[in-house]
Amino acid sequence: MRAVNYNPKLRLQIFLVLIISAIVFTIFGGYFTRFFIAEIAILSIFAMSLDFLAARGGMVSLGHAMFLGIGAYSTAVLSIDFEINLILTTFLSLFIGLIIGVILAYFIVFLDGIFFIMVTLALGEMFNAWVFTSDLLGGSDGISGIMRPDLSNLGLDIYNPLIFSFYTLMWVLFIYLLLARITDSALGRNLDAIRQNINRVSSLGGYTKYYKIIAFSLSSGVAALAGSLYVQLNGFISPELTHWTVSGEGLIMIIVGGIGSLSGAILGASIVHIIQHELSNIINWWMLIIGVLFILIVLFMQDGLWGLIEKIKHKLFRINFK
Amino acid sequence: MILDIKNIYKSFGSIEVLNDVNISIAKNECIGIIGPNGAGKSTLFKIISGGLRHDSGSIIYNNNNLNNFSNEKRARLGIAQSFQKNSLFPEMTIIESIMIAITHTSNLSFNFYSLMFNNKEIYNKAIEIVNQIGLKNYAEQKSETLSYGLQRQLELGIAIACNPKVLLLDEPTAGMSPLETQSIINLIKKLSLNYSIVIVEHDMEVIYNLANRIYVLDRGKIIFNGNVKDIKSSKLVQDRYLGQNNE
Amino acid sequence: MFLIQFFNALQFSMTLFLLAVGLTIIFGLMKIVNLAHGSLYMIGAYIGLSVWTYSSSFWLALLIAPILTGLIGALLYKVLFRHIQTADPMRQVLLTFGLIYIGLDVVRIFWGTMSHSISAPNLLSGSILILGEPYPSYRLFVIFIGIIVLIFLYFLIEKTKIGAQVRASVDDPEMAQLLKIDTDKILFYMFALGCGLAGLGGITVAPILGVEPGMDMEVLVLTLIVVVLGGPGSLKGALTGALIIGFVDSFGKVYIPQLAQIIIYAVMAITLLFKPDGLYSKS
Repeated sequence: MRAVNYNPKLRLQIFLVLIISAIVFTIFGGYFTRFFIAEIAILSIFAMSLDFLAARGGMVSLGHAMFLGIGAYSTAVLSIDFEINLILTTFLSLFIGLIIGVILAYFIVFLDGIFFIMVTLALGEMFNAWVFTSDLLGGSDGISGIMRPDLSNLGLDIYNPLIFSFYTLMWVLFIYLLLARITDSALGRNLDAIRQNINRVSSLGGYTKYYKIIAFSLSSGVAALAGSLYVQLNGFISPELTHWTVSGEGLIMIIVGGIGSLSGAILGASIVHIIQHELSNIINWWMLIIGVLFILIVLFMQDGLWGLIEKIKHKLFRINFK
Repeated sequence: MILDIKNIYKSFGSIEVLNDVNISIAKNECIGIIGPNGAGKSTLFKIISGGLRHDSGSIIYNNNNLNNFSNEKRARLGIAQSFQKNSLFPEMTIIESIMIAITHTSNLSFNFYSLMFNNKEIYNKAIEIVNQIGLKNYAEQKSETLSYGLQRQLELGIAIACNPKVLLLDEPTAGMSPLETQSIINLIKKLSLNYSIVIVEHDMEVIYNLANRIYVLDRGKIIFNGNVKDIKSSKLVQDRYLGQNNE
Repeated sequence: MFLIQFFNALQFSMTLFLLAVGLTIIFGLMKIVNLAHGSLYMIGAYIGLSVWTYSSSFWLALLIAPILTGLIGALLYKVLFRHIQTADPMRQVLLTFGLIYIGLDVVRIFWGTMSHSISAPNLLSGSILILGEPYPSYRLFVIFIGIIVLIFLYFLIEKTKIGAQVRASVDDPEMAQLLKIDTDKILFYMFALGCGLAGLGGITVAPILGVEPGMDMEVLVLTLIVVVLGGPGSLKGALTGALIIGFVDSFGKVYIPQLAQIIIYAVMAITLLFKPDGLYSKS
C-alpha cells in the first residue's frame, strides 16, 4: 500500500498553518466555534491514529471506532464508578486502549490486507452490538455525567469553552509530536519498511509480527485517547460512537488528507467535518455526496489533499525561479 | 562444515523435483550451484533459505538443525539471502534501505531508546556498507529510481548489511550487462574473504571466477561435484549441461 | 421446540449462504471484497417491496428483484470495477466502501426512512406440521430456495465448461489467461450473478425481517465472517461457514444470549489462528 512522499518539512508547515488557524479561531470565535474546534481536535487525533496505522502499520482498519468506544467507556466507568481523577483516567483510558490493541493485534496483524479490513469491520460491528445491549455500560442510553479534568490548581476553569478548546489542541500537539517523532526515528523507518516490503524484512530476520503489533497498539491507544476526550467534551457517551459510520468517517478523513502524513490527517479531519456539518444542514442526502466525493478521490487523487498541496507548491516553486 | 545439507527430497504432488541432494559448505568457502532450467535450482535455494519445506532430509547449520526453522529464524542465525527478482524498499533511498537492514537484524531491533534517538551511529555503519558495495555516489537516491544494475547491487548490499555468516545469492548477475556483471564479481570476490557463500547461477563465467567448488544439478539430482578445473574437464558435465549452454 | 430452533437456524444459514456465496466468488475471482454487497441485499429487498406494492404479487417481486439487482451489479462492474481492475486491490475495496454511503442515501431518497414489510404470499402464509409442531411454511420456502441455489451453483461450477473456467481463474489466474480463458467475461458474469444472489437474499428475507435502511450492515458483518471462515472462492466454504455461523448465532441468541456474540468472535479467532486463509483455502 502506498503512502504519500515522506516530507517532514511540508508536514510541519501544514501542521503549523492548521494549529495557528485553530488557535486564532478559538480565541476570537464564539461558543459554538470553540465547541466545533474541540470536536475537530478530537477527530484529528482519531484520524492521526488511523493514519499511523495505515502508513506505519500498513493496515487499514474499518473498525477503529471500537477503540473510541473503549476509551470513552473506560473514562466514564473509571471516573464515575471508581472515582479516579480525570487526568489519571485519561491516561488510563489510553493505556487500556493500548493493551486491548495488543491482544487483538496478536490475532489479526498477519491477515492479508483485505481480510484485515473485513475482520476489523466485523469486530467493530460486534463491539457496537455488544455495547448497545450491555447493562454495565448503560445500553442504548449510554452513560452521562462525566466530568472534565479539574484544572483549578492552575487557576483555569475547564468548563470555559476557551480553556477546554486549548486543552484539546494541546493534546493534538502532543500526539502530533509523539507520532511524528516515532515516524522520523529508526523505529518508524523499520515500520515503514514492513509496509513497503514485508517479505524482505522477514528474510532479513526482522521481527515483523512484533513491529506490527506495536504499530497497531500505538494506534489503538491514541484512538482510545480521542474517545476519552470526546466524552470529556460532551459529558456523556452513547453507543452511537462505535457505529461503523464513525470508523468510516475516519477512513474518509485520512483518504481525503492523504495517507501517510500526520498533518494530512488533521487537514482531512477538519475538511470532512466542516463539509459534513455544512452539508447536513442544507440537504438530507449528504451521505450520497460524501460517498461520491470519496470515490472520486480514491480514483483520481490518490495522495489526497497533501498530494494536491505538494503539486501546487512545486508549480509555484518553478514559477518563482523562472 | 558450516552448512551441511543432507539427503534432501522434495516433490510437488507426483512430480519429484529434488532427489537425494547433498551439499556441504565449509567456512569461507564459495559454493556454486549450476544446472539447466528446471533442474530444481530455485527449489533447492528456497529450501536452504527457508522459503519452502523439504519433504525429507536435514539442513544442519553450525550444529543447529534448521528443519523446522522459518525464513525469519534462519536469517537471525546468520543466513542471509539476496533474491533473483529485486526485492527492495521502493520508497527508500539506498542509505535508508541499508539502515533498515542494520536495525531490523541487529539486537538494536528492540532497543527502543537507540531506535528513537541514536540515528547517527546507525547512519555511520550504513555509510560504511554503502561504500563497500560501491554505491557511494547514489546513496541518497530512492530505490525505485535506480537503474536495474544499481538495484541489483543494492539487493546484494541489503543482504550483506544484516551481518550474516552465510550468504545465499540467487542469480546475482541476472539481467546485467557484462560490465555490471564484472563489478558484481569483484564485489563478491571481496566478500568471500569474510563470508561463506552459496551462489545459484546461470552464468558460467561468474561461477568460474568465484566458486571454490561447484555442484551440478540436473533433473533434481547432483550429477557432479568438483572444482573449476574438474568441471571444465568433465565430459559428463560438458555433455549434459555445458553443451546446451554453448549453443 | 428444539426442532423449531433448528429450522430457524437452517433458514438463517441459507440466507447467509445466498449472500456469502456471491461475495466469496467475487473475492476469489477478483481478489477484492465488495463491501457494498450488503447494500445490494438491501436494494434487492426494496425493489421487491416496490414490485409487491404495485403488483400485489410476491412471486413477481421474487422474480424481478434478483434480476434487477444483478443488472445493477453488471452496471457497477462495467462502469467502475472494470477500469480499476489492475490497480491496488485496497483501493478497489475502498471504492466499494464509498458505494455503501451512496446506496444508503439512494434508498432513503427513493423509499424514505421508515421500515416496511412485505407479506408472504397466500400459498406460503400458513404453517406445516413437522413432527407434530407447526412451522411457518414461508421459512421452509427460504430454506428450499437456498438449497435450489446451492444445487444450481454446484452444477454450474463443478459440471459446466463455464464453471471449469471459473475454477481455473480462481485457482491460477495467470494460467487461466495463458489458456485463453476470457477472464474478463467470466468476472463480469460472476459479479452480476453474485449481486443477483444478494438481491435474492434480500427479497426472500423481506417477509421475515422487514425492509429498512440499515439492514445492509447488520447482515454484512455476519456475511463477512462467513467468507473469512470459509475461505475465498470456495463454494463449500461458503456453505460450511454459513451453517456454522447461522447455527451458532441462532441457537446462541436463544439459549445463551450474552455469550452468542463472543462465541462467534471466538470461532473466527480460532479459525484465523490456525487457518489464516479460511477453512477451505487454496493453501
